[in-house]
Amino acid sequence: MAAAVRGAEELELLERLLGLPGGNKYGVQGERKVPVLQTNNGPGLRGLMTIAAHLVRQARKDQLLGSTAEEKAVVQQWLEYRVTRVNGGSSKEDTRTILKDLNMHLEDKVYLAGNIFTLADILMYYGLHHIMVDLTVQEKEKYLNVSRWFNHIQHYPGVRQHLSDVVFVKNRLYTNAH
Amino acid sequence: MAVSGTLYTYPENWRAFKALIAAQYSGARLRVLSAPPHFTFGHTNRSPQFLKKFPLGKVPAFEGDDGFCVFESNAIAYYVSTEELRGSTPEAAAAVLQWVNFADSDVVPPASTWVFPTLGILHYNKQATEVAKEEVRKVLGVLDGHLRTRTFLVGERVSLADISLVCALLWLYKQVLDPAFRGPFGNVTRWFLTCLNQPEFKAVLGEVQLCQRMAQFDAKKFAESQARKEKDKEPPKKGDKGDKEPPKKEKPPRKEEKRPQPEEELDECEQVLAAEPKAKDPFAHLPKSPFVLDEFKRKYSNEDTLSVALPHFWEHFDREGWSLWYCQYRYPEELSQTFMSCNLITGMFQRLDKLRKNAFASVVLFGKDHDSSISGVWVMRGQELAFTLCPDWQVDYESYTWRKLDPDSAECRSLVAEYFTWEGEFRHVGKPFNQGKIFK
Ligand SMILES: N[C@@H](CCC(=O)N[C@@H](CS)C(=O)NCC(=O)O)C(=O)O
Repeated sequence: MAAAVRGAEELELLERLLGLPGGNKYGVQGERKVPVLQTNNGPGLRGLMTIAAHLVRQARKDQLLGSTAEEKAVVQQWLEYRVTRVNGGSSKEDTRTILKDLNMHLEDKVYLAGNIFTLADILMYYGLHHIMVDLTVQEKEKYLNVSRWFNHIQHYPGVRQHLSDVVFVKNRLYTNAH
Repeated sequence: MAVSGTLYTYPENWRAFKALIAAQYSGARLRVLSAPPHFTFGHTNRSPQFLKKFPLGKVPAFEGDDGFCVFESNAIAYYVSTEELRGSTPEAAAAVLQWVNFADSDVVPPASTWVFPTLGILHYNKQATEVAKEEVRKVLGVLDGHLRTRTFLVGERVSLADISLVCALLWLYKQVLDPAFRGPFGNVTRWFLTCLNQPEFKAVLGEVQLCQRMAQFDAKKFAESQARKEKDKEPPKKGDKGDKEPPKKEKPPRKEEKRPQPEEELDECEQVLAAEPKAKDPFAHLPKSPFVLDEFKRKYSNEDTLSVALPHFWEHFDREGWSLWYCQYRYPEELSQTFMSCNLITGMFQRLDKLRKNAFASVVLFGKDHDSSISGVWVMRGQELAFTLCPDWQVDYESYTWRKLDPDSAECRSLVAEYFTWEGEFRHVGKPFNQGKIFK
């Protein structure tokens, strides 16, 4: 099993993607290893969603948090899903459910929030990378919409960085796969 | 250095959109000339200066600030693109070219056949439309299969392939691909919507509403655009500035100049005319009237005139909002052959096409060859002769004398009855009824 991208590693990937200078020191808290960021001014920030949103604003890329009220809400929803379900689940069964949920959601969408690339896509990509790496060709075809989305996001400029490139076959191998 | 230059086109031309969207990605600066006084479609593009630069006289056409000229919408879009849009490897570039050509050869022809009649710019042919629908279904199937596993057509970024196909599919999605038809092609719609929502597309296309109900052939719009075409063929009226040359007798041989082209291509250009902003309604200032002309026309067309349509007329006629007129052709001695006289009447009706919502008439030819007269009864919106309201309408009315009728008078009642039914003595004429024409 590939190792999950989590905590400081994930936030550093995000920093680089956002073009931030880096240098932040991250720690983890508690049994669930919640990331924390100590800031110079004010109290420390706690939790992936909070810190990631902070970095996005720092980089002045607020559009990554959604533009309309609706988009913002959907971005929040998937960040929440990422933190609770993807980070929380580890069984085969959990993984199946996540892939099924996402596959359904992405059937008629290019990005998690619909038509635009957001922080939700970035963090979901980092969160799922270790799962996607291990999928068989049949599984990738079964979760076709997730595969299409994942492949698109991993090619999005600056996203993948040192993570391994997951290979997808674009022409159907198993024509009867459902 | 970024490309900059002028794009000649008619307004809202989907072919020009390709270059305009590409320019949004590349930062090329395009000055669009699509409206008078700088550019008049059908005029400017047929001038010798234009033809020297663009021998086909077609738009879109691009002229760079450095003098470089190129026509054909795909070539223009290519020129103003970035390397990424064109495809940065030979394979990607070939795939882009594949889809650009696919759009032109497999999408545009059936799309035009299906969509143009719904815009009133091409005559409807049921069989051709059905064949076109199936072809559209087929190409959507091909695209859907391709986009099942892909976000964009080539690679993982927007390319000229997406730009070209989105533009080629634009009218289909706006006019006829209703939710039921596009249902099986969810991958295409997902891709289409995502492209439309890219800021670069949005900047050019604005908000695009996908079709809710499949548009059908619009006979009325078709008649209107035909009438406009007719009008367009007439020689320019006196006082019509625009040409600086001194007025010559002969009109430019425009028709002969035209090379034969596939019917579709020709008719597509009339999109421009169809898209012309609607002229202001010259009756807009009148208060609402309870008399519904269309309802009367329906009765007149479908039911017995004497027992149904006439009573309906007098029951509902609103003398405040409408007026009745008697007209007589001033030069009966010039009327020779009856068929020519009939053409005189139908020609007038055609020129008054836009008045149909606001007028109804029965105009009758009396007598025989070399001994005839023309007179008629008009129902007209308002209390004035509407002809003065619009220059198009003034062509014929000076050839007639006009007399307002008093709706309460017995004379008026009997004129209306005789002219609407084409029966009776027509005592005021003194010649037998030959034939009648209804303006409705
Ligand atoms: N294949 C050409 C088609 C261009 C074309 O047919 N243009 C028509 C307008 S739809 C035109 O300019 N016709 C000249 C005229 O009718 O005056 C392209 O994509 O640019």
